[in-house]
Amino acid sequence: MQTLIKTEAVSLTGLTKTFSTSRTKVQAVKGIDLQIPTGQIVAFLGPNGAGKTTTIDMILGLTQPTAGAAKILGLDPPQAVSSGRVSAVLQTGGLLRDMTVKETVTVIASMHGKSDRINAVMERTGLTRIAKRRVGKCSGGEQQRIKFALALLPDPDVLILDEPTAGMDVMARREFWSTMRSEATQGRTVIFATHYLEEAQNFAERTILMSQGKIVADGATAELRQLISGRTLSATFTSEDQGEQAATFDQSVQITERNGSRFAFQCQNSDRFAAALLGEYQAYDLEISSPSLEDAFIQLTKDAS
Amino acid sequence: MMTTYIRVEFARHFRDGYNLIFALLLPAAMYILFGNIPSYTAFDLGAGNVKFYLMISMAAYGAAVSTVAIAGTVATETMQGWGRQIALTKMPPAVFVGSKMIVAATVAGISAAIVFALGAATGAKVNEPWIWGASYLIVLLGAMIFACYGIGVGMVFKSESALGLASGLMVFFAFFGNVFMPLEGGMLDAARFTPMFGYVALARYPLLKDMPSGVEMAPDPLWMPTANLVAWAIIFALFAVVATRKAKARQ
Repeated sequence: MQTLIKTEAVSLTGLTKTFSTSRTKVQAVKGIDLQIPTGQIVAFLGPNGAGKTTTIDMILGLTQPTAGAAKILGLDPPQAVSSGRVSAVLQTGGLLRDMTVKETVTVIASMHGKSDRINAVMERTGLTRIAKRRVGKCSGGEQQRIKFALALLPDPDVLILDEPTAGMDVMARREFWSTMRSEATQGRTVIFATHYLEEAQNFAERTILMSQGKIVADGATAELRQLISGRTLSATFTSEDQGEQAATFDQSVQITERNGSRFAFQCQNSDRFAAALLGEYQAYDLEISSPSLEDAFIQLTKDAS
Repeated sequence: MMTTYIRVEFARHFRDGYNLIFALLLPAAMYILFGNIPSYTAFDLGAGNVKFYLMISMAAYGAAVSTVAIAGTVATETMQGWGRQIALTKMPPAVFVGSKMIVAATVAGISAAIVFALGAATGAKVNEPWIWGASYLIVLLGAMIFACYGIGVGMVFKSESALGLASGLMVFFAFFGNVFMPLEGGMLDAARFTPMFGYVALARYPLLKDMPSGVEMAPDPLWMPTANLVAWAIIFALFAVVATRKAKARQ
């Protein structure tokens, strides 16, 4: 057998961050161990306050870990950043409103020593059209595209995006991810934080779920999806008896909530059960919902403890 | 990388003229206003005339305010996340601050130059020509201590309106620093401890140096304004460092 010595794109060992104020201590990240091989596309999924941004800040060397270490491509974060091998789209701010789009790209390109890439990157991220506009006059989606362009300037091996679509509408999100897909993925390691389950599903091969500073699940996105894919069906029946009868449809059906003649069920085959509810059991006002990410977290954190 | 950044900084500041109106035009306007009151401005004073004295005062005020306004943007921009954006490039933060200082010094230089040019055109006079250059240099170099003040205030309040406050306070410092009008008695004694006193007194020293002590408007001995300037430079520098550390720790 041949042994391949391959440097991990990102390697975290016992990464911990505690913020102390005069009164309280908040442990934002509680000891994370993680290996991400080169070329992988990984989603950090978690609700606000899960520690995603703090973890990313430590990977980029913007925040010093309280304990543990982060390595990028075997290098310390500041080295990796100054060599241009890692770059990032940061979550908040990061742009000056009174600069034009072109000025912003030019200035950051010069700081990377990559002024030759300005036009190519602007063209590819669709900024040429709005080059002379001031950043403050650009929409949220356009501002994210600017930040994305800045991150592409050094032509990095590892690209980190911290909630790149926060505050965008659905159309802008879709457009962002399609640009992202065509421009950023050739052989790059991509790590992005999001709280949209949908984005993880569509884009990442591996998803890491974070909650309260810890990793609560880590695996192929498809597996994770199954883990939290049970659907809830709610319907109103002509009588309570009808509802109770419906619960015997098959083994997997369970009543999760009842309120008079309105019932909520959980089941595995929601399509067939829904058809039966409307036909056989004469139910009406049918609602089918996927569990929210928050529900999934509650479930997973319960399982973990 | 520094030159590109400085070039874009200038483009920004001059495009948004709004910010610079106070820095560039107000001191010039005040000089025209106060410097041309015929009742006293043509009088001799020290090695020159009253107009020269007023010209230095207004130039010093303008240079200091420009420095505060531009240096302060180091703080507000850092807090807006621009600092993080820069931290993701090769450029060290010191180059960022350095570029800003060059821009601040240039704008301060222009502001003072406008007032000096107006002075030269409207009859500010001095017997020894070197005093023109010496006064201008002291105005420009001394203004740099207010950069730390601007950065400190920006870091504490983290907003652009804080810079308005910082510039506003400069008017107060100028009044109580004997910049706008000559103070007397107890007010003058108190003024000797305020931040702009040493700066403007040093800038006027070449003009007033030969006046016998005891005469009205005679300068303090050289060590007094020097001590004031050095002390405030240290205070502002410490303030900027402490405020920056606190702001970064909370980030």
